[in-house]
Amino acid sequence: MTAATLPPGGAAPAGSAASAPRFDTGRIAKGAGRWGVAIIGALVIFGAFMLAKGVNPFTAYGDMFSSTFSSSNSIGEILIKASPILLAALAVTVPARAGLVNVGGEGQLVIGGVAAAGVSLALGDGGASVGGMVLMMVAAAAAGAMLAGLAGVLRLWVGINEAVTTLLLNYLAVDIMLYLIFDSWKDPNGSGQPATRALPVAERLPLIGTSRVHTGLFIALGAMVLMYLALSRTTWGFRLGVVGGNPEAARRSGYRVGLMLLGALAVGGALAGLGGFVQLAGVEFKLRQGFLVGYGYIGFLASWLARHHPLQVGLGALALAAIAVGGDSLQIDSGLPAAGVNILMALVLLAVFGWTRVKKGVAA
Amino acid sequence: MSLVLEVSTGAVRGGTSILFAALGETISERAGVINLGTEGSMLCGALTGFAVAAETGNTWIGVGAAAIAGGLLAAMHGYLVIGRGANQLANGLVILFLGLGLTSLFGTSYVQAEVATLQPWNVPGLSRIPWIGEIFFQQDPLTYLSYFAVPIVWWLLFRSRWGLLIRGAGERLEVLTTYGHPAQRVQFLAVVAGGALAGLGGAQLSVAYTGAWFENMTQGRGFIAVAVVIFASRQPFRVAAGAYLFGAALALSPALQARGYGINQFALDAIPYAVTIVVLVVFGRRQAAEAPEGLKKVFETSAS
Repeated sequence: MTAATLPPGGAAPAGSAASAPRFDTGRIAKGAGRWGVAIIGALVIFGAFMLAKGVNPFTAYGDMFSSTFSSSNSIGEILIKASPILLAALAVTVPARAGLVNVGGEGQLVIGGVAAAGVSLALGDGGASVGGMVLMMVAAAAAGAMLAGLAGVLRLWVGINEAVTTLLLNYLAVDIMLYLIFDSWKDPNGSGQPATRALPVAERLPLIGTSRVHTGLFIALGAMVLMYLALSRTTWGFRLGVVGGNPEAARRSGYRVGLMLLGALAVGGALAGLGGFVQLAGVEFKLRQGFLVGYGYIGFLASWLARHHPLQVGLGALALAAIAVGGDSLQIDSGLPAAGVNILMALVLLAVFGWTRVKKGVAA
Repeated sequence: MSLVLEVSTGAVRGGTSILFAALGETISERAGVINLGTEGSMLCGALTGFAVAAETGNTWIGVGAAAIAGGLLAAMHGYLVIGRGANQLANGLVILFLGLGLTSLFGTSYVQAEVATLQPWNVPGLSRIPWIGEIFFQQDPLTYLSYFAVPIVWWLLFRSRWGLLIRGAGERLEVLTTYGHPAQRVQFLAVVAGGALAGLGGAQLSVAYTGAWFENMTQGRGFIAVAVVIFASRQPFRVAAGAYLFGAALALSPALQARGYGINQFALDAIPYAVTIVVLVVFGRRQAAEAPEGLKKVFETSAS
């Protein structure tokens, strides 16, 4: 199954289930059943691991559930984490439509954060303004697009697969960031771990109402809706699907396939770069070692979890962010390491990858 | 000790864990399966090796257990990718997160533990050769094992019947099946063998190199191993060169800093990745052509 054969989301009205075999209710129920079994199976196995560590899984799950979903604080925490994850996931979704694999969300997030911090440093404390913040956003998106575009150029001109280069570029991006914060960008007044100076207040994303959630959430949701519309309603989105489904057919139809691939990667990179800005201006305020670690990879998995459908990617990002926040509860309430929750995330994903997909034929 | 000597020694010492993992990934990729979960196998090996060594008091039993643990995690990757048709790249990342989670959950009890580490041992005679001796023959036993592993993996892949099956599975799975070979079982075993070697690499890190266990102690070495395999176009001897190149880059900055050079460590850390990309650019087309057909298929259909 290729991206092009995916049903154009939302195009078929829900009432046409009987006429369109794709929306066969029996199949949907079966699919939902498989998802249910996958998730319950993952919970049971992770429960067994917790039991092995001497923690009552029922209490632990109860604590996780109540402290993750009952307080507005932790729901806010989920939304805060989900914003950069969603943007990083969309950075995978758009190229995937054209048949490309972008493993470089992590690097593109980081380089976006670096570009935004760089603009802020260049403007200085006196130049901080809303206009400056817009400039930071543009720079972050441009930096992400360039990093992903580099992988696209290497694929088109040299023939190196983009999955390989984007993976390698992740490390370069992180090293560039670390180089800068240990060197010329280091805050001379900072103490402890080297970091850039904190963003002036005017360059920080405002909070939504009285909550702790910053407006970066709107940027992420806006990008999601925009990408949904772009992929399902525009010629560009349709052509990307054709390129992903059958590049040869696309070429013979006169599409400029190379440019389309490059564009898909650049748009993806720009989204992830924006994610770096969101994390910097909404949560971290300064670049430091450990800025964003892993969000790019979690975003990659969120996109795969949702089979690269933009609106479902939003749900995927939310679910993975919730599991990550659940990890904090695991540490506080049950005394287990927070990273242990990675097991639960991995089990859910393994179950989904292994048991819920329509099995491919040998020829595929 | 001169700088070159110190960096070279450090390159071998620090590169060995990468070398084991990269050799494993070479076998796996030759069979047509890329495993980004190598990092997870290394972590499992590092913790299992350390924990079993601490519990039994015998470090070598720990090393054996490390290989088994690394192989088991890779077996999950193999099953889902080969048996269930999961996407290799995405599934590999999930396997990494699984390894990270498992080792952090079960590793907490061993953070303070102590084991009898595998001490460097001077090879009689050889260790007294100037330069060569100090660089290669005053190392820990697992490093010596890696010297044998490189030619063995080469022989296995390119001179043995097994290697022919493995490479056949990587190139044309259908042909093997047509001729009645259990092609998917061959692939699966190659993935498991790769994980076992990554587990050994992890063990070298915990019971020989650092003598400690801490959460996420591999710090990206598994991904570096994947990069090394790409750098080396899946050739075992070039893999060794690549692993030592990365090892040297990791050893260079502490050595320079100890001499008072105010050099930024991260500029040096970036070098091997930049070199890998440059190598790919220079030899890109040839390397792409040399890649096993089965691997190319992974990348082509990976958007499905």
